[in-house]
Amino acid sequence: MDFILESFQTSLSLILSLDREVFSAVSTSVSVAAWSIVFGSLIGIPLGLTIAISEFPLKRWVITMLNTLMAMPTVVVGLVVYGIISRQGPLGELGLLFTPTAMVIGQTVLALPIVANYTLSAVKGSDDRILATALTLGASPLQSVLQLIREIRFGIMAAVIAGFGRVISEVGVAMMLGGNIRGYSRTITTAIALETSKGEFAFGLALGIILMAVALIVNLILNIMQQR
Amino acid sequence: MNAQYVITSVQKRYGEKIALELKTLAIWPGRIYILTGPNGSGKSTLLNILALLSKPELGAVTYAGKRVIWKNRELGVLRKKITLMHQSPYLFTGTVFDNVAFGLKARGISGENLRRTVTDSLTMVGLFDFEDRNITQLSGGEARRVALARALAPKPEMLLLDEPLAHVDRESAEIIEKLIASLPARGTTVVMSTHDSQQRERLGGEEIQLCAGGLEQASGWIDYTKDSEFNVNGGQICPVLKMHAA
Repeated sequence: MDFILESFQTSLSLILSLDREVFSAVSTSVSVAAWSIVFGSLIGIPLGLTIAISEFPLKRWVITMLNTLMAMPTVVVGLVVYGIISRQGPLGELGLLFTPTAMVIGQTVLALPIVANYTLSAVKGSDDRILATALTLGASPLQSVLQLIREIRFGIMAAVIAGFGRVISEVGVAMMLGGNIRGYSRTITTAIALETSKGEFAFGLALGIILMAVALIVNLILNIMQQR
Repeated sequence: MNAQYVITSVQKRYGEKIALELKTLAIWPGRIYILTGPNGSGKSTLLNILALLSKPELGAVTYAGKRVIWKNRELGVLRKKITLMHQSPYLFTGTVFDNVAFGLKARGISGENLRRTVTDSLTMVGLFDFEDRNITQLSGGEARRVALARALAPKPEMLLLDEPLAHVDRESAEIIEKLIASLPARGTTVVMSTHDSQQRERLGGEEIQLCAGGLEQASGWIDYTKDSEFNVNGGQICPVLKMHAA
């Protein structure tokens, strides 16, 4: 019990003292996760919609693949992207490895199947009269799909929230592609891993509490947007 | 004068099942057509084809003298002239105004013109002051009238109604029926499906009777060829089943 209380005290003092290192890690975590979910949504939402409303050969196979990708370990994503952007990789010349940009790429890959799958489920669970009704009222296919998005916006918001939850809390991609460089690519999760390995359990737990608080604030904001 | 629709040798299948097979059917402008027939006879299928939502596997559909090309661009132009009200209409999330304005906005109508047309359409169905009401606050009959106002707002050449009076209270039914009867005079041709045999007399429409569409597949070993006969004046289509051993 003392241990947990001590962690709370440490986290509070870290926040109240405006600890530079902690705020750097929080800022990196939030900005990398935010960009990743933006890119993941920009690709994942149209992908999920397209798979859901169009008929094509191997559709079931594509859905199975998408489900499988949701369970992809973060270190595997990190490994694959590492292979692509490392010096010997096809994009090695861009010098992206151990930068926040590399983390955004990796986390976008992580978020994408989650956003796409949740969107797909939202469309499947929606009323199949939505598109037909919009078309019979003279809407173009694009206008009809936009109306569909409007009707299933809660499901799409859930997709974005789930994707964000996945990327803000992951450690594999951030560690492998960001390199955990202090003040540059260190995130809350990589800082927790580092502090715990150094035996600083209370400090690690304090960072964990801060991570949970950040996740709570972001989800509260998204929930408020959802209710509007 | 061109027929509004001419349907020739149309066949629509759902998997192995033939849902509709018509040799020929013509719909003339400025009339009311009452589509009758038992469940499974293909009434909704025919309405979906007329609404250009469902492409038949075989045959041709001609609208206003031009053969329908089942490609998005061409269909988009034609669909702006035709509206369909489904048997259980879907109302979009939001207010009554949002719903009635939908088809108008899709046609680029905005501002005062949009507001006035929405008000006029709601007045036609007896829901004058319902604009700001959320769709969750509507009764079943009111929802049906909003759907009808929404279908009528763009002033379509063709109005297709799939059992518009099913499960509707008497007050709403009278309003809807009276409105439908007045539509040909306003330049809108109506095709509506119904199970009510007296509706034709009340509305003064012509009857298109579909029979036994698609039921033959249950027997498995029998192959049917269906012919339909259509008399423009009599207005009756009743496919005659011819049986052939497979």
